[in-house]
Amino acid sequence: MAHQVALTVRVPIKPGQMDKLRQELALVNGDIEDNELVPFARLSRVHFARFVILDEAQDLRGNVINPTLVFASNVDAPLKNYLDELMAIAREGLDRIFSNGEGYPAPAARTDESRIAYLMARSIKTQAFYINTIGRTVEQVRQEASLRDAIEDFLTRQQATGAMEAWPAQRIIAAVQEHVRTEPSLAWALKRAQGLALWWRLKELVRFILIVLVLLALTPFLILILPLWLVLLRFHEKRDARAGNLRLSSMQRGELESFEDHVVQNQISAVGHIKPGWFRALTVRALLLALSFSVRHVYNRGDLGTVKPLGLVGVNTIHFAQWIMIDEGRRMLFLSNYDGSLVSYMDDFVNKVAWGLNAVFSNGALYPKTDWLFLHGAHDEQGFKAFLQKHQIKTQAWYTAYKQYTALNLTNNAELRAGLFSNLREQERTGWLQRL
Amino acid sequence: MSTLNLKDIQGIIARGYGELEAGCYILLSIRDAKAARAWLGRLAARVTPADERPAEQALNIAFTCNGLKALGLDKETVETFSHEFQDGMASDYRRRILGDSGESEPAKWAWGGPGNVPVHILLMLFALNEEARQKFCEMLSQDFQSGGVEQIGETLKAVVLRDEASNCSKEHFGFCDSIAQPFIEGLGKTGPPANTIKAGEFILGYPNEYNLLTERAMVKAERDPQGILTPDAEGSGNRDLGCNGSYLVFRQLQQHVNSFWQFMEEATRDASGKSHPDARIRLASKMVGRWPSGAPLVLSPNADDAALGKENDFAYYATDPHGFKCPIGSHIRRSNPRDSLEPHRGTEKSIAVNKRHQLLRRGRAYGQPVAASMNPEDILHATATGERGLHFICLNANISRQFEFIHQTWVNNPKFDGLYNDADPLIGERGEDEQKRQAAIFTEQTAPLRKHVSRLPQFVTVRGGAYFFLPGLKAIRYLASI
Repeated sequence: MAHQVALTVRVPIKPGQMDKLRQELALVNGDIEDNELVPFARLSRVHFARFVILDEAQDLRGNVINPTLVFASNVDAPLKNYLDELMAIAREGLDRIFSNGEGYPAPAARTDESRIAYLMARSIKTQAFYINTIGRTVEQVRQEASLRDAIEDFLTRQQATGAMEAWPAQRIIAAVQEHVRTEPSLAWALKRAQGLALWWRLKELVRFILIVLVLLALTPFLILILPLWLVLLRFHEKRDARAGNLRLSSMQRGELESFEDHVVQNQISAVGHIKPGWFRALTVRALLLALSFSVRHVYNRGDLGTVKPLGLVGVNTIHFAQWIMIDEGRRMLFLSNYDGSLVSYMDDFVNKVAWGLNAVFSNGALYPKTDWLFLHGAHDEQGFKAFLQKHQIKTQAWYTAYKQYTALNLTNNAELRAGLFSNLREQERTGWLQRL
Repeated sequence: MSTLNLKDIQGIIARGYGELEAGCYILLSIRDAKAARAWLGRLAARVTPADERPAEQALNIAFTCNGLKALGLDKETVETFSHEFQDGMASDYRRRILGDSGESEPAKWAWGGPGNVPVHILLMLFALNEEARQKFCEMLSQDFQSGGVEQIGETLKAVVLRDEASNCSKEHFGFCDSIAQPFIEGLGKTGPPANTIKAGEFILGYPNEYNLLTERAMVKAERDPQGILTPDAEGSGNRDLGCNGSYLVFRQLQQHVNSFWQFMEEATRDASGKSHPDARIRLASKMVGRWPSGAPLVLSPNADDAALGKENDFAYYATDPHGFKCPIGSHIRRSNPRDSLEPHRGTEKSIAVNKRHQLLRRGRAYGQPVAASMNPEDILHATATGERGLHFICLNANISRQFEFIHQTWVNNPKFDGLYNDADPLIGERGEDEQKRQAAIFTEQTAPLRKHVSRLPQFVTVRGGAYFFLPGLKAIRYLASI
């Protein structure tokens, strides 16, 4: 089983080609799974993908930032396999889209190699990449979903005939195991899910240990600068420009809503300016490093933000999210794929991890006022929601590989598969059956 | 903190006028803005405030966004109302998130939909008896023509289905309704802390459960030269049009009572075709979450217990985390999960978050019961004529975080609390295509193995609806003066 990687390509849009580009992307989004340009459903390694146009903007000093196209994919490693498949399935479609971007190979020079080289050359780094469960591939998601369906089907049919009436848990599970064994298409379920490669896990462990050691070594230094940092923080917090009325007009909100709540999951793309000055620039980089460390080594099994000793409960509805610094650190791009409505997503964050939002996003211009980095800020429920929605931008095309499953469903399916043929103890058996 | 200005708050927020059993709702269209404003000015004196306990009759009034525009409210002020209110319940997006599809789609509505005369004003009348109500209605309607307003369709009459045995009012399926109403902090009645909600969740202008003031409509000071409105408590210099008001959600829900009990009957018949009346009621109660008497399944999982009929002081997580007593997907559990959701299930913290998604229900049933006894056996043998159901009306300060959140994220969500395919068994969207209908499942969590009931038909059809603004009394006088 492979871990997951994010490929984020950003290209300037050729002057005069914006309309054409929008048309092409509208075609893609019109039938995201099976359109004639990029039929995403045929890409076997893609969890989520999107095309987003970042319109022309001005930075906080009034300098123009030219319009760009972002193509972000969250895929199973290795990246090479994804790119090869992408070429095979969508090279002409990509040509149609990216020929509207600067520097795309001229028609005569287009080969898979030159196309891939183009994408890689324009790929940008993601400062923090949240993966709900590292190592769970698209194949695993699909297989485990089909397993659950098969088991549910079997049980419902059995119950309809009256069989299984008054059976104890052990007998029911034995019958399920027997059924799965006799079903050739479920042969893969007889084995445990292939975990992440040992070398990869070792590599990550070593990385984790090294970073912790480095942090420990730096601790005296960090303790020294902490008071200075706090003083500067308070100075900036008191001085930061206050947001005026951030409310979106009803029409603007309506435009964004037309893209939402078509399937079980939703996406959000948001872009904002980082507050000016070196203090904020440094702080946001440091916090993104901390975020990156925590999502890679700590929050990688279904949860984001739980801190047990502090009694903080995290959010378990996000599939993949990326925090990306763009435009030489002047702006941040936030891309997220999550379950449920935007309102419930924001509510979840406000109610559970406001502290985390505050830490990262308070470095963004116009964020609701924080105190001591963690306090207030997102606790201003409507202020935070207005801030996020004000910075939300349209996502021209968005794909999800498992549109009818929530993150909780996926975890449940994985536990179901894991427990099916493992020798469960008596009290574990009823727990396992409750997953159905 | 701040005491409630009961004189300025409309009475329907404080009470449902239970003693005034004859009620009706009149929908109006504004034909002449100037005449309508004058009419509104005259009507204002009749509007029942919250500091009165009317012995004989009560009147309250609310406006849709189109209604405010038709009345002549300026564009800038209209745009300070919430987005949901401006968008309206029948918009594409809201139709999608509320699950109003198939027979329930707004294009098929009797009122409030894109094919109907736009609703501008809602009048809610209550009187001691039918005769008094009719007189009250007639008296008001005499003023309509000269008042530049016109009634849309028939008067929507409401009934109270009082059940003596259970001492409650029932809804048409036969279950005691309206038991779990929140207590509003600052109003007379007090209740358990777990169910006492800050006034600002239901009345604009007071702190909500975040201890902040919910956004409300504002008027620029120069547009209120007479100084009718309260100044904005947050010091913006604007005049608070929303102060002491609320948002009112109205959905006319037709209930298919025969279809409901027919389904229960078929689902509980045994292989030889024999009926099991007890199992019928049990399955229906599992879907509701309470027995017909109102007794919560959580407290009495095996049999109805009339003594627990009014019981509302209970929680889920400690005694029923898996849903063995009250199924996870049952109606009352998902419309008010209490302490069963994260964060910190089973604790005060969970309840504190739950308090941010509460509704004040003020609706009433309509139509004649299929069988006066409300007994399923009688219902199954009776032939129903005419329409019956529930005029669902609720009040909230924040439609998005309260009504829409509850409906979209809890009630009509097949993924509620870890479920896969269970939307609300009573009112959840069933889906238009065969595949979706097959997926319309109700899961009864049971040890060791869950029971599924599938292919639930649509028991409830939406017949009309709209989002309204229920203004404070000063706001009514302001609207009359613009």
